[in-house]
Amino acid sequence: MLKRALAIITLLIIGYWLAQGLAGVPFGEDRMLVAQYYLDHVKEQTGAVNTVTAVVVNYRGFDTLGEVTVLFIASTGVGALLWRKKRERTAKTEGSIVLTTGTRLLAPFIMLFGAYIFIHGHLTPGGGFPGGATIATAFLLLYMAFTVYEIPHKTFEKVEGAVGMAYVLVGLIGLAIGGYFLYDWIWQDWGFGVDNVGRLLSGGFIPVIYTIIGLKVGTELSGIIDNMLKEEVSE
Amino acid sequence: MISAYYFGAISLILIGLYAILVKKNVLKMLIGLSIMETGVNLLLVSVGYISGRSAPILSEGIGPNQAVDPIPQALVLTAIVIGVATTAMALSVAMIIYEKYGTLNVEEIRRLRG
Amino acid sequence: MNGQYASLLIALPLISAFFVPLIKGLGKKAVKYYLVLITALQTGIAAWVFQEVYTTGKPIIVMAGAWRPPVGINLYIGHFAALFVLIVAVVSFLMAVFSIRAISVDPIDKYAMLFLLVMLGATGMIATGDIFNLFVFMEITAISAYALTAYNKTGEAAEASIKYIILGGIGSSFFLIGIALIYGSLGTLNMAQIAQLAGGMDATVAQVGLALIVFGLAVEAELFPLNAWAPDAYQAAPHPITAMFSAFVVKAGLYALARILYLMQAVSSWHSVLKLLIIMATLTVFVAEFAALRQKNVKRMIAYSSIAQIGLIGLAFALGTQSGVDAGVFHMVNHAIVKALLFLAVGHVAVSLGGAEMEKFEGLGKRMPLTAFAITVGAIAAVGIPLFNVFWSKLRILLATLGAGYSWAAAVVLIASVVEAVYYFRLIHTMWFAGEGERISEGLAVSLMLLFLAALVIVIGVYPDYAWSIAQKAGNDIFNVADYIKNVPLMGVGA
Repeated sequence: MLKRALAIITLLIIGYWLAQGLAGVPFGEDRMLVAQYYLDHVKEQTGAVNTVTAVVVNYRGFDTLGEVTVLFIASTGVGALLWRKKRERTAKTEGSIVLTTGTRLLAPFIMLFGAYIFIHGHLTPGGGFPGGATIATAFLLLYMAFTVYEIPHKTFEKVEGAVGMAYVLVGLIGLAIGGYFLYDWIWQDWGFGVDNVGRLLSGGFIPVIYTIIGLKVGTELSGIIDNMLKEEVSE
Repeated sequence: MISAYYFGAISLILIGLYAILVKKNVLKMLIGLSIMETGVNLLLVSVGYISGRSAPILSEGIGPNQAVDPIPQALVLTAIVIGVATTAMALSVAMIIYEKYGTLNVEEIRRLRG
Repeated sequence: MNGQYASLLIALPLISAFFVPLIKGLGKKAVKYYLVLITALQTGIAAWVFQEVYTTGKPIIVMAGAWRPPVGINLYIGHFAALFVLIVAVVSFLMAVFSIRAISVDPIDKYAMLFLLVMLGATGMIATGDIFNLFVFMEITAISAYALTAYNKTGEAAEASIKYIILGGIGSSFFLIGIALIYGSLGTLNMAQIAQLAGGMDATVAQVGLALIVFGLAVEAELFPLNAWAPDAYQAAPHPITAMFSAFVVKAGLYALARILYLMQAVSSWHSVLKLLIIMATLTVFVAEFAALRQKNVKRMIAYSSIAQIGLIGLAFALGTQSGVDAGVFHMVNHAIVKALLFLAVGHVAVSLGGAEMEKFEGLGKRMPLTAFAITVGAIAAVGIPLFNVFWSKLRILLATLGAGYSWAAAVVLIASVVEAVYYFRLIHTMWFAGEGERISEGLAVSLMLLFLAALVIVIGVYPDYAWSIAQKAGNDIFNVADYIKNVPLMGVGA
């Protein structure tokens, strides 16, 4: 009981202190500095209308590369920690009729929708991460509905590595062509889709990278699900 | 006075911290961690909000001066992914702990001490 | 060559880590040698960058995507970053070689990927010039460290890892709140621009933000009271990884702490944050040294000693003076060498004899004389005996502490050093004057690495001037913020 009281007192002090700090950052006021530059120049410089994805992929591309890496670490780490000599699915109850029929019906459309999200990342809210996560939910549904279902995890692992390399390669091509790592040569040098801003075929390398990220996130999250659902079996 | 969004964010952070400090079950502590991360993300987004403006997607009727700050939203996207990664790692570690000790209670698994 | 090619420091480990799944079919041996190859390449690139920066005297600014800062993210590879990127690469290379012998737990391919990503994360943390990017690289380092801590899949390892994850999670949340406050009041994330605008910041916001960032980074930098995870993690992690934790992962956290601290020196509440840090650092030294005294496991004992030394570096950085920062950087270099040596040697003993408990070290002088010699050199150096490298940096830290007027902190450090001497000499005594044993083979590669590191310890100890001049340049890179701002080609956004 004493521990709880102490914890609550500490927390109230921290909360008060945070509120003190936040009082200096008034809510809802325009304090944009770099952000205003992004908003003013995003269309001509990147060809995207969704400023957030332009910031994520293009202006702050290094962050996104790191972000992709973090997810890759998670999937690798989960794989490393849950590695056993022989593992299999041990679920016993098959999904109900509603679940199985629904999954059969929906799984392809969910994947399609995921692909739609990441391909349109430069136009609409979303992008590679939500798109990839949507694709992974389709696999999760399959796992829940069918006790024998398994993703082809060897292939998935290879795809994961290959698309990761593709991302770094896109960056290195930029280094070779434009002299800067992660340079958007598709928009800046080729001017591909300049008349098309606001439509699908524009946005420089944003759709390319988001496709890569979408595939990567989809395979990684499905891999994590796969790893967590399997259990060790004796040979 | 402090805005409702800041208040909500700080409350979430404190609730999460409370769970981490007081709860004894590893899973509950991890849930606390996730709640705390959610609070931080909410805080970041609300720092970027500008009254009366809309999402930073520059289409019909939304020019550069009618949009909110895009940077915190981009940061939150990254932070969410990092949170997911941490949670995934933590859960698989928790699985090993359960496998080895047969319990998730922190008071029973504290063998490395001193 | 174009300075932008320094981005290969980030690109190479990444692309090689992604490549591992495609070659894992070739077998365990192949993956281990691949790891050695990549770290050797990384060392080559880092050596080139180091040479470039130290001959021209100008930092390399890598601009990702050709966006000039603050619009894009830049890497700032100045004197400090060039030096430490090289240390990261060299230590990783040595530990990759050691891994060939030391790692037998499956799955090796995942180990190799995580190994490369820890190296990548630390490199990125040291090189980046953007505060949120620093957070991302910190998380890369931390999450791969969580995974590697638990890699042996024993109960202890998992427990250490969960401790680390929970503290690390709290730390990164605090760090992020700090970023939110700083971004909220300045509107920028670029470090140089933050430094430029810091003077006009609201004092309370700056104080709260900076304190949150200090707390957040203190988890990575192993400062008391947020270092509870460290001894467990050091003990439970695979041996090469422990050496990497001590030699550069924690240093990256410390560097980030020092960098952000000095960037914000224009804010009016700066000194109150420094005081907080001095107290935390002194307590770290004190608590860790006394904890080390009680340890039965040598690896854990050295882990505590490492934490104490880190506290000493933290103290040097928190003084807020030029001489303190220089001494701190010098100690970072020396500590990286000594602890790489000690953890390598102790790990080697643990691999050969099956454990790192004190009893295993009895008669080590007769069983593995070279390793025992290396541990002796490392131990004597760590205590701070003259003619060994740590002596010079410890002395300079003490002088700087006295110079800044913190005689109580200097006294605590001196007492702690005496304690340190006690347990290190106990270890040396156990190795050389107790027990008997048959001579066993020590392995060529590890012996060479031990000799190399021991030679480095003694050479820097006898001729400290060259290393000191490098450390001074690197320290100046952190301390002299005006130069830092000048070197980053900020475009005039907003300001």
